Amino acid sequence: MELQLGLALPTHNSAEEFKLSKSKQIVSSELWRPSCGSESGKHVKHKRNFEESFERFLKPFPLLVWSGQPNEEDDRSQKVRRNIHTPNENRSEESHLVGWPPVKSWRRKELHQHHPARGQIRNDRIQANGNQSRGPNSLYVKVNMEGVTIGRKINLRLFNSYKTLTNALINMFAKYQKSEEAGESYTLTFRNEQGDWLQVGHVPWHTLSVCRSFIDTVRRLVLLKNGSETI
Amino acid sequence: MRPKLAYSFPEEVLEHVFSFIECDKDRGSISLVCKSWYEIERWCRRRVFVGNCYAVSPATVVNRFPKVRSITIKGKPHFADFNLVPEGWGAYVGPWIKAMAAAYPWLQEIRLKRMVVTDECLELIAKSFKNFGVLVLTSCEGFTTDGLAAIAAHCRNLRELELRESEVEDICGHWLSHFPDSYTSLVSLNISCLGNEVNLSALERLVSRCPNLQTLRLNRAVPLDKLANLLRGAPQLVELGTGAYTSEMRPEVFSNLAEAFAGCRQLKSLSGFWDVLPSYLPAVYPICSNLTSLNMSYATIQSPDLIKLVSQCENLQRLWVLDYIEDAGLEVIAASCKDLRELRVFPSDPFGLEPNVALTEQGLVSVSEGCSKLQSVLYFCRQMSNVALLTIARNRPNMTRFRLCIIEPQVPDYLTQDPLDAGFGAIVEHCKDLRRLSLSGLLTDRVFEYIGTYGKKLEMLSVAFAGDSDLGLHHVLSGCDNLRKLEIRDCPFGDKALLANAAKLETMRSLWMSSCLVSYGACKLLGQKMPMLNVEVIDERGPPDSRPDSSPVEKLYIYRTVSGPRLDMPGYVWRMEGDSALRIS
Repeated sequence: MELQLGLALPTHNSAEEFKLSKSKQIVSSELWRPSCGSESGKHVKHKRNFEESFERFLKPFPLLVWSGQPNEEDDRSQKVRRNIHTPNENRSEESHLVGWPPVKSWRRKELHQHHPARGQIRNDRIQANGNQSRGPNSLYVKVNMEGVTIGRKINLRLFNSYKTLTNALINMFAKYQKSEEAGESYTLTFRNEQGDWLQVGHVPWHTLSVCRSFIDTVRRLVLLKNGSETI
Repeated sequence: MRPKLAYSFPEEVLEHVFSFIECDKDRGSISLVCKSWYEIERWCRRRVFVGNCYAVSPATVVNRFPKVRSITIKGKPHFADFNLVPEGWGAYVGPWIKAMAAAYPWLQEIRLKRMVVTDECLELIAKSFKNFGVLVLTSCEGFTTDGLAAIAAHCRNLRELELRESEVEDICGHWLSHFPDSYTSLVSLNISCLGNEVNLSALERLVSRCPNLQTLRLNRAVPLDKLANLLRGAPQLVELGTGAYTSEMRPEVFSNLAEAFAGCRQLKSLSGFWDVLPSYLPAVYPICSNLTSLNMSYATIQSPDLIKLVSQCENLQRLWVLDYIEDAGLEVIAASCKDLRELRVFPSDPFGLEPNVALTEQGLVSVSEGCSKLQSVLYFCRQMSNVALLTIARNRPNMTRFRLCIIEPQVPDYLTQDPLDAGFGAIVEHCKDLRRLSLSGLLTDRVFEYIGTYGKKLEMLSVAFAGDSDLGLHHVLSGCDNLRKLEIRDCPFGDKALLANAAKLETMRSLWMSSCLVSYGACKLLGQKMPMLNVEVIDERGPPDSRPDSSPVEKLYIYRTVSGPRLDMPGYVWRMEGDSALRIS
């Protein structure tokens, strides 16, 4: 043929065989197994057995002959090992490896929409640990304070105004603060369901009207030191 | 000549004989015997399984099998589950539904996995098939509750409507009220993936008027205090997925619920339990000994509460649970659940750097010792040892599916700091019927040598962050005779192993490689020389030919096909064409 590839390309010189092989591929990949052929070969003496018929498919058909010395002339593998394989030491919830660990995105969404606080106390109420539950009695969101590494989860249903919430948070984090920071004033900010960061007070705490209230939309909380620019 | 013998059977007799053969593989074998068997078989084939929607065209299937009643089609690669397949990749079911709507007016069952299904598709299904009975959409997307409303309104004989982990845009909870009042044929309803509230009164009416309803899986929005009523309407239920399993603790809610559960004598399977409040769990205790399947993998409750529950389920065959079960809980399971066949332990905090629960390799070792029927495992943990894997392998040579995920990549044996090659090697060596394997931890090429040597029945292998060189991949491709699906990410496997085993790819359903070392040049060569393969490079950085041939491709998906290139590739997918290159040479 005019291809001159120097390869044993499968050439279909019989239309019938082509049809057969085609049908085989469509329906049942399993038939490619050599074992099917060898078994039937034992019983049907006068027919070509499977392996004879489809020899060219079953034989290794290399585009390159295995030399037994993998990657001998390139050192790319080592580079990649360093580049790709080194797990990110500073993995945070925003920068973890895509697709790892292999938890279905569906499950992640259901259970881990908000990653549990690090260093959580094992005897915490369990709803505070794994997920954000938005039941009638509980509404857990993660909260951080600027300058404090450990985040917490709190149940917003226990509060009824911005004032009680802010006071409770400052008290909760007080023990982590260095003495020179004590007495600084803080502003409470929150992230809404669209991912925007807002100061509290921009929306009502709770409302029965159509407009979305703080309680409906809050996803995360951060206490910022006053005078601070960044989150 | 033998064919004479075949002719002596009237076709009707052969057709009748073939009708007893259900296994797709056996049907395929039959069609290869001779022309007349091929013809008879294709006319009486009622069920078709398409493992890859791009491996064959709808027209080919419809032409070959004119009388199909039931079809199963799978779309995207498995790694799509973990967000590795970019949005808009394909796997649209539209062309299939259109072809079948024209050819199969008597089609009864459609099962789809990882496919994009639009509302128009659902409407076409609802209107085209006269006697439609089963719609199962697993990990599908692209449709809304409007499409479901069309199914509900038109499919008078619908028996099963299952939406398993599908992404449904939830426009309106009233779609359930589109089931006509005269409709009573429902056997299975799974709406657990719907986000919004459903119309509860419509649901209650539907459930109570379908006397054959066996499976009911609710979504999180169905409150606990409504569950008792639903159960009273369907005391014949066999499988139940609860909604949110929480409520203010009120004695009357509890006693009402306990009474309703006690009335469901046939219940064998429980799932759901979102937001579970442990104090309500005793309501199911009376039926625990009937349960064969329990899915607590969305239930965030701690070990003591879980132990109290599972220790009463002595007939469990399948258990899915979060790692809150801990080693102590798994030890209890090992002692009490002697019939257990399948165990899945999911991580409650997969992204945390520190363990948040006392779950180690020991829990799995215990279960492998205590549960002699255990054959399928999915286990997430943070430490593993070769000796533990060896013990598991020796304890459970009957294992067919073994998926272990050590959450941190490339973690060695925590006792010896060795790679886990020997441990996984023991698994493949002892478990002779192993069909599915997922690897994790620190692994060298050695483990692939074991897999190639012993994994003769292995059909699906998942690999991440493993191996040293092409040799690893070469061992697998040249050794695993029955391998059908291979998925690899972040491994230093490159051109040589792939090209040296090019023919192997034609015997497999698909190969996925991302963040590996396969060069663009090798992909081109494969595409040119292997006309039966679709070699698709996925690169979101732009056209791969803008980079040197030697540069590795981002993602590579190779599958065999009899229908040639697909026509719906998005802009970031490039198929390595054979034709143009052949013309050049």
